[in-house]
Amino acid sequence: MIKGKVWKFGDNIDTDQIYPGKYLPLTDKKEMARHSMEGVPEAEKFIKNVKPGDIMVVGKNFGCGSSREHAVVTIKGVGIGCIIAESFASIFYRNAINLGLPVIECPDVKLIKEGDYIVVDPAKGEIINPDKNENYKGLPLSGLELEIIKTEGLLNYLKKHG
Amino acid sequence: MTVIERILSNKVGREVHAGERIWVPLDLVTMRDFGGPNAILEYKENFGDASLFDPNKVAITFDLHIPPRNEKVARNQQICREFAKATGARLFDINQGIGQHILWEHGMVQEGDAIIGTDSHMNLLGAFGAFASGVGTTDIVAGMRYGKFWYRVPKTIKIKLRGKLKKFVGAKDVILWVLKNLGTDGAINRAVEFNGDIIEPIGITGRITLASMVTELSGEIGFFESNGEGEYKKVYEFDVSDISPQIACPHSPNNVKDVKNVAGTPIDQVFIGSCTNGRYEDLEQAAKILEGRKVKTRLIVVPASTKVAQEALKHGLYEIFFDVGAVVVNPGCSLCTTGHPGILAPGERMVSTSNRNFIGKLGKGGEIWLASPQTAAASAIRGEITEPGTL
Repeated sequence: MIKGKVWKFGDNIDTDQIYPGKYLPLTDKKEMARHSMEGVPEAEKFIKNVKPGDIMVVGKNFGCGSSREHAVVTIKGVGIGCIIAESFASIFYRNAINLGLPVIECPDVKLIKEGDYIVVDPAKGEIINPDKNENYKGLPLSGLELEIIKTEGLLNYLKKHG
Repeated sequence: MTVIERILSNKVGREVHAGERIWVPLDLVTMRDFGGPNAILEYKENFGDASLFDPNKVAITFDLHIPPRNEKVARNQQICREFAKATGARLFDINQGIGQHILWEHGMVQEGDAIIGTDSHMNLLGAFGAFASGVGTTDIVAGMRYGKFWYRVPKTIKIKLRGKLKKFVGAKDVILWVLKNLGTDGAINRAVEFNGDIIEPIGITGRITLASMVTELSGEIGFFESNGEGEYKKVYEFDVSDISPQIACPHSPNNVKDVKNVAGTPIDQVFIGSCTNGRYEDLEQAAKILEGRKVKTRLIVVPASTKVAQEALKHGLYEIFFDVGAVVVNPGCSLCTTGHPGILAPGERMVSTSNRNFIGKLGKGGEIWLASPQTAAASAIRGEITEPGTL
């Protein structure tokens, strides 16, 4: 179970907004995390106040654009525990799983508001909003995806299982 | 079964269906001069000197900054050369052209193959009946060592294109028109099967153009199948007999209008090339319009590969390009790449046969308008956006 406070973002947030291209040369993960979502115009509050364990709830086509994995590294770097989206760009989705970040697709993201406290079960795809007494049904992660996340990413998974 | 289900079932050795997660054995893992060096450094960090799963199935293609434009790029290419030498991976150096095109020309792409690469337009290999996917660094590192990757088998949408295209209308106009109708997330997480009357006449060059822009629909890959009988998520049917030349205005590939509605807009530069429109037939269509005329604006022509360039040279296309006043650049991705020579000054406008027109892609404040080779050539002659039939 993943529990946390919600940060909301809109549709079509591309990888250049998540992690602007000018920071591509950075390699230190802590330094990279400082620029998370920096290209999104309304992200100032997020950048100042995001806490480890928080959850991002976003719209359609999240992570479109380039295939840069920095976009996942920077979101993981600030401690986001899970991203829930109406849909993900497929390369971003793969990169997230490959780097051990749970990602759930759910058609009801509009019902979840910024500041809500939610509980997510990635294996069942269930999202619970206890204060509002609401449940949302998302797509469950498969056994393979859960196992890759549990071993902290694809390379660790393959080193273990071949 | 859909085409993607059939290809992946054959690879995996059992019947697979949309929604399943599977491990796909790979026939080819490819990377480029950008993206490749990072993957190589991470490979070494994780696996040291351990051998590749199969050196004949790992390829490095230099297609972005060729020849290298600064020391950093030169060093990155050096990292790739040293790695290829040490591991036996196939290397295609600065003299070849765009990755997908040269891999196919060298027989490294076969129907039914499964391929991953660091290029988000890797999926254009669907035009040859191969499964190919653009991926991030971690997938490439894992693929090089273990020869497999996991995949969520996508659902498929079908796009039927009926009718006969008018004169001066080609595959690029069709795919821009599809983008206008479906939007930039029109095929998100979906494979696409194109069929209909136009698939045969547009030839392999036109099919490459259609397949390459499935990425702009946020789709996984595009195939061409006359008798697909799978379970389709959606079926679109379009009659394309009446469409006129199309153009994607700044700054999104689905901001598409009829060329005639923006004709007369002054331009500063034209680019004919890219993985979408850099084949011989693309250059030939442009040359037919250019022949015997003079450009009123800068025109940059870039063949997709050295093989294409040789064919163009043999058939007199280079002479036409030089006579008309064009610059002809060595084969590669060229003006699709941020930082390649040919960048725009603030406020300048370029008509490009490429596939993306995002803001800032070719210099801050420059505008990119996406069109067919014929519209691009006609626009270069007039120095303004021009319908090819009106010259």
